[in-house]
Amino acid sequence: MIKLFDYILSVNCYKQRLIMSILDVPFESVPVDFYPGREHKSEEFKKINPLGHIPVIDDDGFMLRDAHAILIYLASKYDPTGLWYPIGSPEFLGETAQWMLFAEGTTNTASAARLHVNLGYDFDIESCRSGAHQLFRVLEEHLWFREQEDLDWVCSSEHPTVADIAIFPDVILSEEGGISRLDYPAIRRWTDRVKRIPRFTVMPGIFPAGDAR
Amino acid sequence: MNLWHPIASAEDLPYRHIFQGQLLGRELAVWRADDDFVNIWENRCLHRGVRLSIGRNEGFELKCQYHGWRYANRSASCTYIPAHPADAPVRTICNRTFSVCERYGLIWSGEDPTGDPPEVPLLEKARTLPLRSIAVNAPLNLVLEHLANYRFSLAGDPGNLAVTSANYLDQRSLSVTATFDSKQSTVLFFVQPVDSNRSVIRGVLSSSPTDSERILTLRHHSTELSRLREKVELEALKAPQIQPMTPTIEQVPVTSYEIKTPSSGRNASLRVQVLRKWVTAEGIVGLELESIGKPLPTPQPGAHIDVHLPNGLVRQYSLTNAPGQGSRYRLGVKLESDSRGGSSCLHETVKEGDVLAISEPRNNFSLRRDAVKTILVAGGIGVTPLLSMAHTLRNNKLDYELHYFAQTDGHLAFPEILQELGDAVAPHLGLSPEATSKELAALLVGYKPAMHVYVCGPGPMLEAARRIASEVGWPDAAVHFEYFKNTIEIDSSSSFEVSLARSALTLEIPSGKTILEILRANGITLMSSCEQGACGTCEVTVIEGDPEHQDVYLNDSEKAAGQRIMTCVSRAKSPRLVLDI
Repeated sequence: MIKLFDYILSVNCYKQRLIMSILDVPFESVPVDFYPGREHKSEEFKKINPLGHIPVIDDDGFMLRDAHAILIYLASKYDPTGLWYPIGSPEFLGETAQWMLFAEGTTNTASAARLHVNLGYDFDIESCRSGAHQLFRVLEEHLWFREQEDLDWVCSSEHPTVADIAIFPDVILSEEGGISRLDYPAIRRWTDRVKRIPRFTVMPGIFPAGDAR
Repeated sequence: MNLWHPIASAEDLPYRHIFQGQLLGRELAVWRADDDFVNIWENRCLHRGVRLSIGRNEGFELKCQYHGWRYANRSASCTYIPAHPADAPVRTICNRTFSVCERYGLIWSGEDPTGDPPEVPLLEKARTLPLRSIAVNAPLNLVLEHLANYRFSLAGDPGNLAVTSANYLDQRSLSVTATFDSKQSTVLFFVQPVDSNRSVIRGVLSSSPTDSERILTLRHHSTELSRLREKVELEALKAPQIQPMTPTIEQVPVTSYEIKTPSSGRNASLRVQVLRKWVTAEGIVGLELESIGKPLPTPQPGAHIDVHLPNGLVRQYSLTNAPGQGSRYRLGVKLESDSRGGSSCLHETVKEGDVLAISEPRNNFSLRRDAVKTILVAGGIGVTPLLSMAHTLRNNKLDYELHYFAQTDGHLAFPEILQELGDAVAPHLGLSPEATSKELAALLVGYKPAMHVYVCGPGPMLEAARRIASEVGWPDAAVHFEYFKNTIEIDSSSSFEVSLARSALTLEIPSGKTILEILRANGITLMSSCEQGACGTCEVTVIEGDPEHQDVYLNDSEKAAGQRIMTCVSRAKSPRLVLDI
């Protein structure tokens, strides 16, 4: 079974739990004492990941680190439909990669602000917040125009992709970092849609959505 | 004068979504109910202050994400508190609501706005096109100044910015018309004052371009307005910073926490007009009542009202609507063959357009929403409170069955509602008392913990249902019932003493007088409704003494416990009762 080196409050670990729940892939969570123990920076853990961060997965001996890389691996390997990571279409694949890189931005701004507020990380909080708002404005306009074309997801495919899974956690927990989503109605509607994906799962701070049609 | 402001666009409120808005510093939770009504509420739960915009839109109720308090469509009245599943919430727990108007593809509201939202003849046409709204970190006046110089191109030609001219409509909106060659295009801008230093530009194009140019046009305005936003925000940064607004959050009235000192006896604080009266089944009329004046309080499932009839009689009728479904009350009234003037008056005398005095709804037959399965058993007109329960359970996606015992198909009241409830309804027609008991035994078999049954119907059927439920293992606490009337012959021959613990008063109850009557005569106010031991309104807690129960409201275990008494009919076996009033 897949082992996930995991911390309950980490957005990047949650991204893995979310995709594995959606794809119905069983896994074992190996808790890492991220806070306050800083176990991920221990000599012991650096043997697993020399960069000293989580998540890391161990899939029957195949080790992989970096949240967005793991998402690509899991979707490619365990999604028989091929829709979550659309290898078959160069356009969709390119778009997916583009938005996965966008998610690096939301992680480094919105989720960094959350680490600063919740776990006392020494980041420039104002630049984290303004950086997040710049990205949210881009995402807001993008998703609003997607809706105008009756499309629901960040990529132009009719099915959600790992890019939605990569961006969603950074966005939905932004208020913990002091970043309001009041100015982003299209983003708020998209988060409702993500929450309604079958087998969606939550983490502390994320609430399930009610039913829709 | 308080103004109307746009607070959202219509497309911001899709099915089962809650929009987070803000106006003049005040946060709003905005949601469209399944009946299309747009609710605009203070964005905080009355319980712990959590934002309602992170809650769930359940169609006719909004559910807070924190402890699951539910609030009804339209009135924002609290309808259910999961921590107290067996109790009906105090009706005065009600969130603050704001006026709403939908116009030009925008949702308008305000702090007690007067008059109407602005009327723009140019937009009174079918094909207008709302632009993407743009949130700007700048005060309204600065945004307007820049919008007056807004330039754009005509559809399909984003390269060439046209010459524009601006016209102020009022202090927060203006129109900008672009002319290029002989063609013209006009955008109406309504600017929403989000806070002292934040605004939203809400634009509406007066004529919609062709389908092929629609997205291009929307993109063009989105780009140009984003460009304008950059300029405005740079300028706002240079200006002296303004303090954010501090809207007043109204305190929940203290009366919401306390049980209000009831006005003596039967109140009739509401006036309603009979909007519709129709024959819904053999011998049963439906009545739809609309408020005159203030909106009617939201009824909870199982609630009833007192209806003060033109002939002076007061009768209780259950409401059939579920919380949040409509702003009117709907009753079903059966013409009783032995009518003492109540049902015959409603059938024969009262007509559409008549005004009636009614009480606020009371709920002594409240519905739990934590059952693993709920069985509703109706006998004849007893279906009325169960219809509101069925709707609530359906809206909450909870497992339930409605068993409806009636003489024939033609005796089934509100067929249109039954049809809506679909497969959950099982009619049982034309059964003899014996066959009814057999059927009840069959459907009550298989009790499991956390199942609940609610029964309403004629006395003999209720007796049978309660007896059978008890025989097949249902505990008293899981069997809920409501009688139409008390058929017990009341024995008022005893005399005894009543001590009122809180009022420090001792009173003699002579034979022939009820506790309720003597209390009233001595200036002690107590609410009552049916005054025959059926509805539970005049209930009082017994501290000491042995009550002689003559009501049909309490169940057998409650009667045996002797801790509650219906003061309108019950008396004392002991020489003295100490009551908690």
